[in-house]
Amino acid sequence: MTQVKWISSVAGGLLLAAGAFGILESGAADVFLEATRPDFQKISLAVAGIQNAGGPEWLGGQIEEVLKKDVKRSLVFDLVDLPSLGIKARALGTGMGSDAKAVFNQAAGNGVSVVVWGKASLKESGKEAEVNMEGLVYDSGSDEVIGGKRYAGNPSVLRLMAHRFADELVFRYTGEPGIARTKIAYVVQHASVREIAVMDYDGYDARQVTADGFLNLMPRWSPDCRFLLFTAYRSRNTQDIDMIELATGKRWTVVSLGGLNITPALSPDGNFLAFASSYQGDSELYLLDTRTKARQRLTVNPSGDLSPSWSPNGRELTFVSDRGGGPQVFLMSADGSNVRRLTFEGDYNAAPVWSPRGNRIAYVCRIHKEYKLCIISPDGQNRMQLTTGPGIDDSPSWSPDGRHLVFSSTVHEKSHIYMIDADGKNLERLTFQGTRNSAPSWCPAS
Amino acid sequence: MKKGLYACGVAMMSLALIGLTGCASKSLQSGGNSSAQAPAKAGAGSNADSFPSTGIQPSGSELRGLEKSPSEERVGNAMLSKVDPSASAPRQLDEAASAELRDVFFGYDSWAISEEAGLGLTRNAEWIKSNSSAQVKIEGHCDERGTSAYNLVLGEKRAKTVRNYLVELGIGANRLSVVSYGKEQPSCSEHDEPCYQQNRRGHLVVKSGK
Repeated sequence: MTQVKWISSVAGGLLLAAGAFGILESGAADVFLEATRPDFQKISLAVAGIQNAGGPEWLGGQIEEVLKKDVKRSLVFDLVDLPSLGIKARALGTGMGSDAKAVFNQAAGNGVSVVVWGKASLKESGKEAEVNMEGLVYDSGSDEVIGGKRYAGNPSVLRLMAHRFADELVFRYTGEPGIARTKIAYVVQHASVREIAVMDYDGYDARQVTADGFLNLMPRWSPDCRFLLFTAYRSRNTQDIDMIELATGKRWTVVSLGGLNITPALSPDGNFLAFASSYQGDSELYLLDTRTKARQRLTVNPSGDLSPSWSPNGRELTFVSDRGGGPQVFLMSADGSNVRRLTFEGDYNAAPVWSPRGNRIAYVCRIHKEYKLCIISPDGQNRMQLTTGPGIDDSPSWSPDGRHLVFSSTVHEKSHIYMIDADGKNLERLTFQGTRNSAPSWCPAS
Repeated sequence: MKKGLYACGVAMMSLALIGLTGCASKSLQSGGNSSAQAPAKAGAGSNADSFPSTGIQPSGSELRGLEKSPSEERVGNAMLSKVDPSASAPRQLDEAASAELRDVFFGYDSWAISEEAGLGLTRNAEWIKSNSSAQVKIEGHCDERGTSAYNLVLGEKRAKTVRNYLVELGIGANRLSVVSYGKEQPSCSEHDEPCYQQNRRGHLVVKSGK
């Protein structure tokens, strides 16, 4: 708590105290994700400015700021600053003029692979307002303007335009869809009431999606992010699993067996719902075929089994069981066979989530009485502690590209949601409203 | 089971392909409009047998790649129906704490009934016996440490241990119900052991009417 180091200072003012919330600054020896591997060469990219082409003064700057942060978070690009290389920022226009060519030559000479720039305008006519944005891309490899995008929409989608353009850049250079347009569901607490909310992956544009007035807990997405599943205390006395369609607000109770019905997880193909229920005594895992409604029990033992998470190929589940006393992380086949214990260090390991590439499982580990995040390979190798310091960390959830995790961290009366790279770097706080935000779940599709 | 999952995966992939090609020719609309604005109220479609199709559908907002002469893409706001937070009405409580019913407390990570808790439950049992029409709800609670999910299970273990103890003392099981609130409804909000101790509790309330 004493050593406070400022990191991740960006134009928008997202500052955080790394010492206060615990970041593992070194020691991330085992890094598996290619984009964060030491030998992965990030693509050097400069954002040369989004010019104002009409409208309020802040317009271009705001889009540029969103775009730059997206580029940094992608972990695909190394964001470079042209002025710091001695290259004067100039309006690059279509990229065809001699001024622009001079900038490109200088940038390429300084090892910059990609230069991105653009313009934006906001026109108001009566009550209608329209934002236009254009982004263009120069690639030093081919020494040409390789293309661009033009977007139009109302001012509420300003950030989304920048996110979309950032994802196009990631797509262009990796073939992956990027994460800038993804969303995170979480629980927002007002007094003793907990409701489900959804925000953009960078913490902006938060919206509450339930208003029941009691407890809605631990949301999880359907694989295509159309639905959220969560535990709902319909009366104060029953815990069901509810599902809500975000586009319509339509809502279903999909598991209502009596007892505790918690931790829903839809299979990667969307056709099977794994969940924990105590309707037959203690908490056990079940599998519900969402098409036939056939229900299959997966675990049989006199202890608590919960928190299933699917492997990306849908063949296995990781889950929590306290069959040995304290909670530990286990693996099993999706038919309930071949159960084996994964975690052996420490007496409390819980909330496992399988990474989208299948090679890692993140979970909550208790180390020296603190609840932190750990990562382990499904073969039990390469265990590492991801977060350190004070705070009760909970609910890790992977980004769709497997390069980041979100989680909640509670320090005294405050609980907030954080993003961290899968190697423990770049801790970033995402929630600033209210005092208690928890149980984040990252939408698995872009 | 394995075969079933695999077959579905293949079916989904081909569906997704059809969806993608269908989408490319559809329109330049990205994101989609949020035309439906129905408030998300609990209770709608609460038939537990209903389960909407959760098979994967393409979002319609796929990236289309950089273009030499970019055509205009309309960006729609991501689809989210609106909910009115003020619609959250406080629920009618059909239960009341009874001064005669005492909380019982548990150790860290534990759901065992201590000697002291046993004495408290014996007194609670006497009151329940002498109020023969009372229906009692046993709430299991936890302190803030640990995961939300495991604390729900731990809270239920505590509530059920209390119920079983009362049943052994001669209370009819049909008069007792259990619910776990995990760490979601703490009675004390400090962050130290005295407060944690108060939160690791079995809390008994009397239900009024059915």
